[in-house]
Amino acid sequence: MLPLIALLIVGGMYLAVNARRAQAGRQVLVLQKKQAELERMNADLTAMLAELTSPEQMLERALSLGYRPAKPGEVEYILVEGYPGPPVFVAPRPPASSSMGEGTLSPAYTETLGEWLLRWLSWGGGGGQ
Amino acid sequence: MIDQGPSRHRIRLVLLFIAILVLAMVVQLIRVQFGPYAPAFAAIELVIAEQVEKVEPARGLIYDRDGRLLASNIPMYYLEVEVRQLTDSSKKQIAAVLSRVLVLPFEDLSAQLLHKWVDEGQFRIRLTRLISGGKRWPIVVDQIVADVLKGFLADPEAPDLSGLALVPAPKRTYPAGWLAGHVIGFVNQKGKGYFGIEGYYDDWLVGRSITVELGYIPLEARLKPDPPAGVNLVLTIDIDIQHMVESILEQAIEDTKSESGQVIVMDPRNGEILAMASWPPLDPNNYQPWLPREERLNEEVEESEEELVINPAVAGQFEPGSTFKILTMAAALDAGVVTPDEEFIDTGMIEVGGNIIRNWDGGAWGPQTMLGCIEHSLNVCLAYVASEKLGTPLFYEYLKAFGVGQLTGIDLAGEVSGQLRTPRHPDWTESDLGTNSFGQGVSLTPIQLLTAVGAVANGGMMVQPHMVRTVVGPEGEYWPKTTILGRPISAETAETLSLMLSESLGGETHFAHVDEYTLVGKTGTAQIPTEYGYDPRWTVASFVGWGPLEDPRFSVLVRLDKPESSPWGSVVAAPVFRQIVERLVVMMEIPPDQIREKWTGGGEDG
Repeated sequence: MLPLIALLIVGGMYLAVNARRAQAGRQVLVLQKKQAELERMNADLTAMLAELTSPEQMLERALSLGYRPAKPGEVEYILVEGYPGPPVFVAPRPPASSSMGEGTLSPAYTETLGEWLLRWLSWGGGGGQ
Repeated sequence: MIDQGPSRHRIRLVLLFIAILVLAMVVQLIRVQFGPYAPAFAAIELVIAEQVEKVEPARGLIYDRDGRLLASNIPMYYLEVEVRQLTDSSKKQIAAVLSRVLVLPFEDLSAQLLHKWVDEGQFRIRLTRLISGGKRWPIVVDQIVADVLKGFLADPEAPDLSGLALVPAPKRTYPAGWLAGHVIGFVNQKGKGYFGIEGYYDDWLVGRSITVELGYIPLEARLKPDPPAGVNLVLTIDIDIQHMVESILEQAIEDTKSESGQVIVMDPRNGEILAMASWPPLDPNNYQPWLPREERLNEEVEESEEELVINPAVAGQFEPGSTFKILTMAAALDAGVVTPDEEFIDTGMIEVGGNIIRNWDGGAWGPQTMLGCIEHSLNVCLAYVASEKLGTPLFYEYLKAFGVGQLTGIDLAGEVSGQLRTPRHPDWTESDLGTNSFGQGVSLTPIQLLTAVGAVANGGMMVQPHMVRTVVGPEGEYWPKTTILGRPISAETAETLSLMLSESLGGETHFAHVDEYTLVGKTGTAQIPTEYGYDPRWTVASFVGWGPLEDPRFSVLVRLDKPESSPWGSVVAAPVFRQIVERLVVMMEIPPDQIREKWTGGGEDG
């Protein structure tokens, strides 16, 4: 009777862990899809912003507000000692590529109960995630 | 004793339920394996079994020097149909909705949806539209239309679009529109970069696609690895200066009724291109007419007679005419064979290699100094300097040092080298020496001329023009260093010639004058060679100049092709230079001479 109960407990645990694992995996897939969607939306908005601040649009808005380009004789120059000038623009870095190894999820989301048990035993009973 | 009757009954019921469940599973398995949808399941199984997907990285972004976005990626969507999910109503409704939203023929869409694709073994199709010449091209929709269609798909009250799927793909977009279009180039629908920066840096921008295992099964979900991304580029271009230059050029083209034109603004100290404008403009968002003939979709365009020149500032050769005299005089001064005050008696004609050379006005200008020769742009005098003073070997040695007939190596796709016939060339004759001295019989691109003349502005040091200021990759930034192409003349020669050109500019044309700034420049009016000799009607009017004299911060080249209002560079191109410089000194925050002198003399403010 005892082995049967133990088997049932282990089976139950196995099912529970696998169910959670499947749920987490499903969540990962959903989040990946959402991330891709947000990235696309971000790119679209960035391009829209760039279009709205293009020289053509800015000049049009400035003229409509009553501004006009300054002529050389209308500009006053002041020498400010130590002023380094406007900061130099540095473009954002593109995302670093991650290899398959770097890109995998934490084992907590993917490993089976058996794998967890093996890992647990190989570490002498500690260090589980 | 316990009555086991009801328990047995319950057990039988449970067993029956399990048996029905198992039977249903068996039936479903048989249906999956051999039923009408077996091929579909087989296809899914195959995909899952292969579990691979090609992941393309986002193409690198392009910015101007101040961080304004010039090229980015936006999502576009292909319209695909899962034909097995189509219903009778969705076939009609998809065609109706798409024909109204996208203004496409209903019949064409309907025919695609009613076609028996399954009989041909196709279960997923990409909807296409008909373009001219009977060709078909995938239908592509933007984010706004995609949002509308997604809304329909999610709303049970909306038209039935069952089976329709929106498949995202990146599209290159250029937020500044036609601004700097020739410089940037474009990317076609397949992601290949053409011309300009997009063409030159295509390999760097595109990154590297990778093949990854797919994670359709939740139990096997894993993070998708990112492929090595393309680099982001920061250009030397200032988009505000570019806009100003393009606006002035467009107005000049209209005023002078010129056929085309180019303007380049460069920092002569380091070769950074601040603006490069060409007319007619290229809109990279509508690049079809500029594609190579074999890749164009529209057959009407394909049959057009003339091939458009992309970025003529680096690919359009021309005989420079009098602006070339700067190089001849630089060579003569540097070689020490003439001085600015040396006298020359202009008789109005000179024979070089059997060819009679006359001045632009056919007149004789009598006693002239070298300064006068430049000021009055005397062909006879420059031909004398080249043939009698410099001599053939030295003259061509200097032209070679100035890079005439060679690529500058600018980082733009499509640069051409120009043409210079040297004495080694089988067709070269001595008369070429005379005509070359005043810019005839030799062809350059605008960028070549500005690079060569830039050596005079930069104390004799010739620097390579370049377009990219910073390359930003995932690992860090790379700042290309200024490349010195050579020192064709000494610093002393450069200074002497700059003073001569500044002094002569006032006498040559008053149209290039800008109050409170000392500028340097030379006009050019060149005839256009044809296969029957020089065209008697048209000219190329040009101006090349820089400033301020004491501390050059910019050099500008203006070229107008076939102006109708006047053929002369001094009349049509010099005013364009002035208009540009008047705005340039404000935008680049260059104070007038007097203020700069005060500051360098220790003054506190202006």
